[in-house]
Amino acid sequence: MSSHTTHAATATTAVDLTKVKPYGDTMNDGMMQLSFTLPVPYGEEANEAAKQLAKKMGLDEPNVVYSKDMVGFTYFVLYGKCQHTVDYTTIKVTKVEVDVMDRLECEKYIEENIKRPVVIVGACSGTDAHTVGIDAIMNMKGFHGHFGLERYHGIDAINMGSQVPNETLIAKAIEVNADAILVSQIVTQKDVHIANLTNLVELMEAEGIRDKVILVCGGPRISHELAQELGYDAGFGSHSYAEDVASFVLTEIVKRKLV
Amino acid sequence: MGLLSQLKQKYKTLSIVGMAKNAGKTTALNYLIEEAMDDGVILGITSTGRDGESTDLVTGTDKPRVFLDAGTIVSVPVKLYDLADAGLEILSMTNYSTALGQIMLCRVAESGYVQIAGPVNTKDHKKMCREMLAYGAEIVLIDGAIDRKSIAAPDTSDAIILSTGAVLSRSMKKVVEETAHIVGLYQLPELEEGSVRDLICSGEEQDKIMLIKGDRREILDLKTGLTAGKYLDEAIGDETDFIYIPGALTTSVISDIHPAKMKQVEFILKDPTKIFIDAMQWQQLRKKGFTVKVLDNITVAALTVNPHAPAGYSFEHEALLKAMRSEIDEIPVIDVKMGGDFSETI
Repeated sequence: MSSHTTHAATATTAVDLTKVKPYGDTMNDGMMQLSFTLPVPYGEEANEAAKQLAKKMGLDEPNVVYSKDMVGFTYFVLYGKCQHTVDYTTIKVTKVEVDVMDRLECEKYIEENIKRPVVIVGACSGTDAHTVGIDAIMNMKGFHGHFGLERYHGIDAINMGSQVPNETLIAKAIEVNADAILVSQIVTQKDVHIANLTNLVELMEAEGIRDKVILVCGGPRISHELAQELGYDAGFGSHSYAEDVASFVLTEIVKRKLV
Repeated sequence: MGLLSQLKQKYKTLSIVGMAKNAGKTTALNYLIEEAMDDGVILGITSTGRDGESTDLVTGTDKPRVFLDAGTIVSVPVKLYDLADAGLEILSMTNYSTALGQIMLCRVAESGYVQIAGPVNTKDHKKMCREMLAYGAEIVLIDGAIDRKSIAAPDTSDAIILSTGAVLSRSMKKVVEETAHIVGLYQLPELEEGSVRDLICSGEEQDKIMLIKGDRREILDLKTGLTAGKYLDEAIGDETDFIYIPGALTTSVISDIHPAKMKQVEFILKDPTKIFIDAMQWQQLRKKGFTVKVLDNITVAALTVNPHAPAGYSFEHEALLKAMRSEIDEIPVIDVKMGGDFSETI
């Protein structure tokens, strides 16, 4: 018994970054909370089904702390102890590497280094109707206290909205001589965002403008690594703001001598 | 003699183009790399996307890794350099920037696994291939990404290897049909030498849409044909013989052109990668009398088939090979998973 206590004591005191586990009340207790719905009627059998499922997911001591009758379905909140760990020290995530400038710094950068208005065309292209992403980056009021590109002096921001066909987006970019195209993909089914993003790159290559325009994609399922795979210059995931995108686009314009 | 040694005699740069993601591009690449090792050929290897990572970013499925022999010239972005298990000698730092950092040209000093990536646009690819040849590569292989076909452009490489496979469809007939459609497009007839070609290619206007009537050309005041179908319809007159479109040919370019005018004019495109029209629509257009030629077509040096799809189903090796060979003439069709002797097929 005493040896067990000692063991537990060492386990709770320190974080081992090579074996990271969820934190509930104490270090390394592995405690997690899940919420989900099963298509079975409310009752004891439903709770048991939820617990068995949690066990299969690698959660020890599953405990249904809340369940609700959804008429033919049951909704659960379940606690369990996760038995898996991850090695945090070996994790490498490729991110856009740019010194982020705030809005005023971006404006000054344009004045000093580019010396002309920068034209940025953005859209939520293909079938996607969710403008929340492109609006957060482009709209005047911005998002979460970060003003959008429309507010930036020296940036001519054209937000084409949602469900814009790739062809229309490119035609617009050519018409206004855009420096950058921002394309947002928020809610897409069955990886259709991949097909749509690839189609956009391929059309730009066919139109002969791919090397003249900085091409950026963004959305919750987009990473900077995926951007490379798809032939984009950068990819921005969730929690990116207008200044992140602007800093990247402006420094790329100068770096690639597209001034 | 292996496939690669034969290709090497004819071409300096070869793009590996996929009909779809998971059609077997990297498997085809590895197959050629193995041949190069056996025959002592110095390869240049680059990629339009990324190659050699073990898990697919999109599907989460396993991907074939890429093992390179000593001597190979390869393009590696800064952020993937540390991940290489091979010994890499850095030859030069290029100006091509990618999402994974600047591209470096390296020579493999000690053979091993390497993660590869290349420039994001085809123009830079073309330039970089020349540098790789200058460093001593005998032939440069460009591995494509996903189903991106722009690297098939004759501007970028001398010839292509087209990778196709079960991933396209659960119906073998459909796999063969769609592949044959693309091969058909790539082999579209080239515009003959002569006055029409001279009219199009003279001067600095090759990137403008133009109409040709007899021996006169009219350059349209249009920056792109995309979404300009109505304008094109009005511009085509009774005497127009040809219309030259340098950019993308999509349905929005031609859908508003009157059927009578479609029949009357011949379309001239820069090359087949400009066509964004699927097999079914293409057939319908053909029936309406739509004709098209290109300034440069694409040499398909070989076709590789992969009978397995990551979704779990597969076709019988022999049956797929046979079906493909009966539809595709004069191009060697290879099952890269099976290997074999190709001297007969070439």
